[in-house]
Amino acid sequence: MTSLSMDERWSLADAIAGRAVRTGVYTRSLADALGDLTISPLTGIPVAFAVLYAFWSIFSSFAGDLATDGFMVKLFDAHWLPWLQSVWPDPQSILYFLFVGDPAADNCFEAFGVLTSGLFVSIGVVLPAVFIFYLTMTVLEDSGYLPRLAVLADTLLHRIGLHGYAVVPMILGLGCNVPAITATRILETDKQRFMMMTLIAIFIPCGAQLGIMLAVIPESVGLVIFTLLFGFALFGFFFSRLLPGENPEILIDVPPYRRPTIENVSRKLRIRTMGFLREAVPFVLLGVLLVNILYLTGTIDRLSSALAPIFVVWFGVPPETVGPLVAAFLRKDLAVAQLSTIPMTAYQMFASVILVSIYFPCVATFVMLLQEGWKFLGGAILALMTVVFLYGGLIHLAGMLLGVA
Amino acid sequence: MRLLDRFFSCHCSGGTAPDAGCDHEGTLLLIGNPNVGKSALFNRLTGGSATVSNYPGTTVDVTRGSLIADHQVWEVIDVPGAYSLEPRDAAEEVATRIVAEHPDAVAVAVLDATRIERGLYLLLQVLEGGMRTVVAVNMIDAARAKGVLVDTAALQQLLGVPVVSTAATTGEGIRDLVGILHKAQVANLATVRDRLAGKTPQTRVNLPGCAGCGRCG
Repeated sequence: MTSLSMDERWSLADAIAGRAVRTGVYTRSLADALGDLTISPLTGIPVAFAVLYAFWSIFSSFAGDLATDGFMVKLFDAHWLPWLQSVWPDPQSILYFLFVGDPAADNCFEAFGVLTSGLFVSIGVVLPAVFIFYLTMTVLEDSGYLPRLAVLADTLLHRIGLHGYAVVPMILGLGCNVPAITATRILETDKQRFMMMTLIAIFIPCGAQLGIMLAVIPESVGLVIFTLLFGFALFGFFFSRLLPGENPEILIDVPPYRRPTIENVSRKLRIRTMGFLREAVPFVLLGVLLVNILYLTGTIDRLSSALAPIFVVWFGVPPETVGPLVAAFLRKDLAVAQLSTIPMTAYQMFASVILVSIYFPCVATFVMLLQEGWKFLGGAILALMTVVFLYGGLIHLAGMLLGVA
Repeated sequence: MRLLDRFFSCHCSGGTAPDAGCDHEGTLLLIGNPNVGKSALFNRLTGGSATVSNYPGTTVDVTRGSLIADHQVWEVIDVPGAYSLEPRDAAEEVATRIVAEHPDAVAVAVLDATRIERGLYLLLQVLEGGMRTVVAVNMIDAARAKGVLVDTAALQQLLGVPVVSTAATTGEGIRDLVGILHKAQVANLATVRDRLAGKTPQTRVNLPGCAGCGRCG
């Protein structure tokens, strides 16, 4: 076989292209003009804020106000719950507790049975949220905006030892952490990949989690997201200095803007929504069942009293948050829903939502980390425990200094 | 994904009778730079549902599907995008590994018609490896809009492997591509150089790597 050197190959490629390609007169298109405007910092950064704000507005108004509050809450609380409570026999039985939950509950958050809270959280709250999130994200992906965002974020992300392209897995992670972990493969060195995977698993809330937060703590979602992003930057800064390895520059291709096709957008939306229904919904239902069984057997109570010192003294949250933390391993959305039923102060709610987000990746993300190898997983768990203790304690400290904890 | 691969992987020796428990008779590798439309082409060829986006690095893992053409069942593999076969990141490592694992496969080299040169670099590397190859000059619609004209006949004459132009998002040229798969050729780069230097007459009769498709001349 003929084997060429790199230079020979390039000059051959050049010669071939010279023979086969003719370029005519090029007229700049609207897409080119937009392409330039969204990538030069002066105009690009305001546009980036506008795009992300629009993204969030569409998400919260559609998922939070329209679908959940406007329709699903009414459907579940006014019709489904009373009906189920009236037809399910024997409110004192174990099966009633597992599947319907609290017989006195008047809403689907507090009932906490598999068929009440389980269905409400997964179908009533999270499904509309992930649907609209996937739709807007798909349009962003297909238009070609994401690589431009990566270029704009490059300087900022280099401060914390990452490349601008790390924005792409971050944005994907806001939909679901699982594809985000896979997407880190475009980063070059093990250090970059490890940092990115760990930071995503710890600090990037997924669409399901965002959806449920909009429903239960609409007034402090912004603060939660800000705290998580701050943690992302803070620990990224330390990781990049403490971990061995390189952080090389990567050249990335910025594709031209293209009009997203209905065919492709609907295909992706279908695949992702079906994936959610198939994989997430059973986990939510299973999670409710498991947590209820753990309550019935007294395991949660024993765990609560055993861990109470850490929870109360170090993190400043009520010991009852142990239950949601167990559920959080299966589904973070479920855990946040469960937190909303525990009586606590606004600060405690805020701190425990942060804890649920950062303390452990959900089981699906965990499996993805495992597939990247034991070395990655072991390191990630170690990093994670350190982060939970430091950041959890730091937030408590900040709360005490501000006099709210 | 890697766990799934183990269940779905099957190694077929191209063309002949299928191995026991394996119903593919040949393997097609879609090889090309990131973001040239390999996954869109994959979906067109297999009716599959690989994720397609407008940014490089969407496919970082192996996606497989089937295509029936010329009474033959092909296993189609959507290879992650790579700029060369000297891997720089984990996705390119996957690409290099797949190419190394399938020496008997037919390579469908996917080029972006608006940026031919860098695609040619990878294509030459594939040809050096001695794989049977066909070339799809994809995004031909975008090239037309930009006033870039790609002479596929000239490209075919020079390279000695079949070249078709395609637009995976609209479906243009897909039929031509499928029809030409069985004419995939191994190229001889020394001959390609001779042709560029005008040493070998570019006639239909003497074209050593002639795809025999009648499109040249």
